[in-house]
Amino acid sequence: MFTDRQPRSFLDPAVLARLAAVPLLARRPMVGTVSGRHASPHRGSSVEFAEYRKYVPGDDLRRLDWRAFGRSDRHYVKEYEADTNLRLCLVLDTSGSMEFTSGGVTKIEYARRICGALGYLASQQGDAVGITCVAGGIVRTLPPRRSPAHLRLVFDVLEEAKPAGPTRLPEVLHEIAETTRQRAVVAIVSDLFCEPETLATAFSHLRFRRHDVAAFHLLDPQELAFQFQRPTRFLDMEGGGAIFADPIDITDRYHRAMEAYLANLRRVVLESAVDYHRVVTDQPYEQVLARFLVGRAAGRGLR
Amino acid sequence: MTFLQPWVLVALPLVALPLIIHLINQRRFQTVRWAAMQFLLAAKALSRGYSRLRHWLIMALRMAAVAAVILAVGRPLSRGWLTLAGGGRPDSAIVILDRSPSMQAVATAGGESKLDTGRRQLADSLATLRAGRVLVLSDPAKGPEEVASPTEIVELVSAGPVAAASDLPALLQSGYDFIRENAAGTTELWICSDQRANDWKPDDGAWGGIRDAFAKLPQQVRVQLLSYAAPALGNVAVRASNVRLETLGRDRRLVVTVAVSRQDDGGRLTLPVKFEIGGISTAVDVELTGREAVLKNHVIPLERSAAARSWGRVSIPADANPADNEFFFAYDAPPPRRSLVVAEDPAAGRVLELVAAIAPDKAAALVDLVPPGGLAAAAWDEAAALFWQGPLPEGRDAELVQAFLGRGGQVVFFAPDRPTTAEFVGCVWGEWTATGKPATAESWRTDQDLLANTLAGSALPLGDVEIRRSCGLSGDLVPLASLPGGAPLVARASRAEGVTFVATTPAPRDSSLAAEGVVLYALVQRAIDRGLTVLGGARQADAGTATAENARACGTWTRQGGAAASTEAGFHAGVFACGDRLVAVNRPVAEDAALPVADERIDALFRGLSFQRITGTAGDTNSIVQEIWRAFLIAMLLALVAEGLLSLPRPAAADRTAKTSRSLEAAA
Repeated sequence: MFTDRQPRSFLDPAVLARLAAVPLLARRPMVGTVSGRHASPHRGSSVEFAEYRKYVPGDDLRRLDWRAFGRSDRHYVKEYEADTNLRLCLVLDTSGSMEFTSGGVTKIEYARRICGALGYLASQQGDAVGITCVAGGIVRTLPPRRSPAHLRLVFDVLEEAKPAGPTRLPEVLHEIAETTRQRAVVAIVSDLFCEPETLATAFSHLRFRRHDVAAFHLLDPQELAFQFQRPTRFLDMEGGGAIFADPIDITDRYHRAMEAYLANLRRVVLESAVDYHRVVTDQPYEQVLARFLVGRAAGRGLR
Repeated sequence: MTFLQPWVLVALPLVALPLIIHLINQRRFQTVRWAAMQFLLAAKALSRGYSRLRHWLIMALRMAAVAAVILAVGRPLSRGWLTLAGGGRPDSAIVILDRSPSMQAVATAGGESKLDTGRRQLADSLATLRAGRVLVLSDPAKGPEEVASPTEIVELVSAGPVAAASDLPALLQSGYDFIRENAAGTTELWICSDQRANDWKPDDGAWGGIRDAFAKLPQQVRVQLLSYAAPALGNVAVRASNVRLETLGRDRRLVVTVAVSRQDDGGRLTLPVKFEIGGISTAVDVELTGREAVLKNHVIPLERSAAARSWGRVSIPADANPADNEFFFAYDAPPPRRSLVVAEDPAAGRVLELVAAIAPDKAAALVDLVPPGGLAAAAWDEAAALFWQGPLPEGRDAELVQAFLGRGGQVVFFAPDRPTTAEFVGCVWGEWTATGKPATAESWRTDQDLLANTLAGSALPLGDVEIRRSCGLSGDLVPLASLPGGAPLVARASRAEGVTFVATTPAPRDSSLAAEGVVLYALVQRAIDRGLTVLGGARQADAGTATAENARACGTWTRQGGAAASTEAGFHAGVFACGDRLVAVNRPVAEDAALPVADERIDALFRGLSFQRITGTAGDTNSIVQEIWRAFLIAMLLALVAEGLLSLPRPAAADRTAKTSRSLEAAA
């Protein structure tokens, strides 16, 4: 598959090999251009029987079920499920906040690994992969393509992504919903540091467009624990002002604000049927992806 | 507040240390690039008021802890449990002791008296304060007495209890004189008293002058009142009066009137009153239902062989104040009822002579009609009363009358025919006023003095006496009876004891005193009775300065009974032999009914001066001035504990962190 010899820091062949055992499936029917392994809303020529339909002139006579005709003296056409490929739209948050790390891996690096692995797995099973880098707007975008050469371009985009600027994720998701005409799996990898209510409208918009939305919510352990010992001046990584605070005074209220935000976000993703995964960056990304893939494989058969 | 090591207080600016450390710490902040700013902004917006309050509380507690350490090292002194008084180490401390009988009250049976408690507490306090000089002032006549060490206050004989009332204005005046003459530096006046009105004399005109004098002193004078004003609960006082020896044939008997009194309305109380005469004791129960019960004319038979002149004691069981549980009396065969009459009007003179000559009992009554100019030859030493109708005495005559008054004689002046400008004990006769229609007394005092009601409670018929003309009277007088319009008819001189003025004469042209003889008879005989009390071989005396002066004048007073011998003759209760006379010395009558002066009134007496009141209780074992560095250390510890509790992360926050982590795990 790797036609180029350029090693990618965010790809681990061993991890990819283990994850390849589980297919990447969509939770809802996809409309593809070629045959694939994903359910399609149309009837096709797979081996999976769908239904009987009365024969109408013009139907292919080869699809008449002669046995049914023998039993009922009526002409029925036997229809089968169609399997098709999917479009995987990776939405990578490249705002300034994605560069944060409390000592381990940065959120952008973690996001690269998830996006790289997902792109690779989708491409392996013949699906189209595209990517959109988001900050104050769409920073860079590649439409979904199936070719391995395109995957290399996707990797290049991942590699060159530099966190900077503010987050305008909801606006960009609206734009993606409008511009992506065919059904797709939209995988958002972001810290989602914006108002849950604005995200809710964006998720609903994507769902209305029949996209299968998955969200990887990246959080650094320190962002959850907020453990500081000394008075600290906090500089906004997205270009805002600075805040001076004594952790003794503010920790409790920070946790309260964080809790309220997470509760709101959970409510939003449940209402929007988003495949939501909260990810702390000290977790192995392989586990996160395995949970993601297995969860989707368990829902296989929904059309 | 007083400190034993005040130089340590120069370190007080170190109180600002926590603030300085805080400011330095603020400048040592770390800078962190942070992603989740929206939560920080939300946290800053949440309940900023409480956070700021807690911040300042922590700072205040840290500063308080530092201050407490510094103050503790300075060894602060507390004056009273609830009072922290200002001032430093005094150069001189003058202890003014109220040694009156009411100061011998105890709070609990067998406990320490107020005076003993005060002396001990003052000794401890002054030892702690390390005053330069310590002086004890208990007798205004003697002045302050310096002691080598404050602990001597407890053992000083002259600081012990006496039966005499204290004179606080005089004591303060004596203290002022000492300070002024000795140019003492910073001086503390410690007054130990129970604030009784008869000791403090708050209405005394001397208070204003004393206050002004202290205010004008160049040196700083602080007045500290160690007050034991709490009344002695359940205390009962006993007092004897009208002690007389009666002879019936060959038998003798003693007639005594005994009064038991208390200041609170308790329930019914039966008291065994014990009489002790010549080593023989008798007892009688007296029932006390109100505040006072009187056993009138109690008869005690005496042995035929008993001496006519002797003494005795009446006592009640021990209670809250042992000083008023016994009363001494002396008695003797009654002296002859001799009186002197000086009259310029023969008509008036005859009436007076007649009235004075009729004794109320079988005893012979002698009346000497003294002609003008014959006063020097009169039997002054044997006379009980002098009735004077004429111009007020002047010159040698005045001196003789003053001497007569000085030894306890009674003088009744009647209006002269021709008033002069002569003045006697601050009083002057005015002009005669004739009324067309005879006047009668409009009001008179029926509770005391010569016109008091009879023992049976009946009023004298003064209203029936017609006053046809009256003589004006002016000066320092206390009216006993007044005519319509307020002019005095009968008045007592306020400057001298035993002087009474009657603004008319018994002559028929002036009044009907002779015709309505009851009033005149009662007045004259009562005056004679009063005069008799100081004649004879036995007399009663109030303990106090005057008695002490008499004792010194007498030469040697030999104690017959009562408390142990003391150099302060005349101040202690007991019976003393002075020459061929017996003198029974007891507490003044005011001591039995003295009410405390209100705190506000005391404050007013010292207004403008540095004055502090410390309330104590009899038997209190705590020192009024004590080192309280332990309290400051405890305060420091409490401040540190509170600061630690406030500085700790709130438990709810820790729980919330754990909860957040658990919810994340659950989501994963």
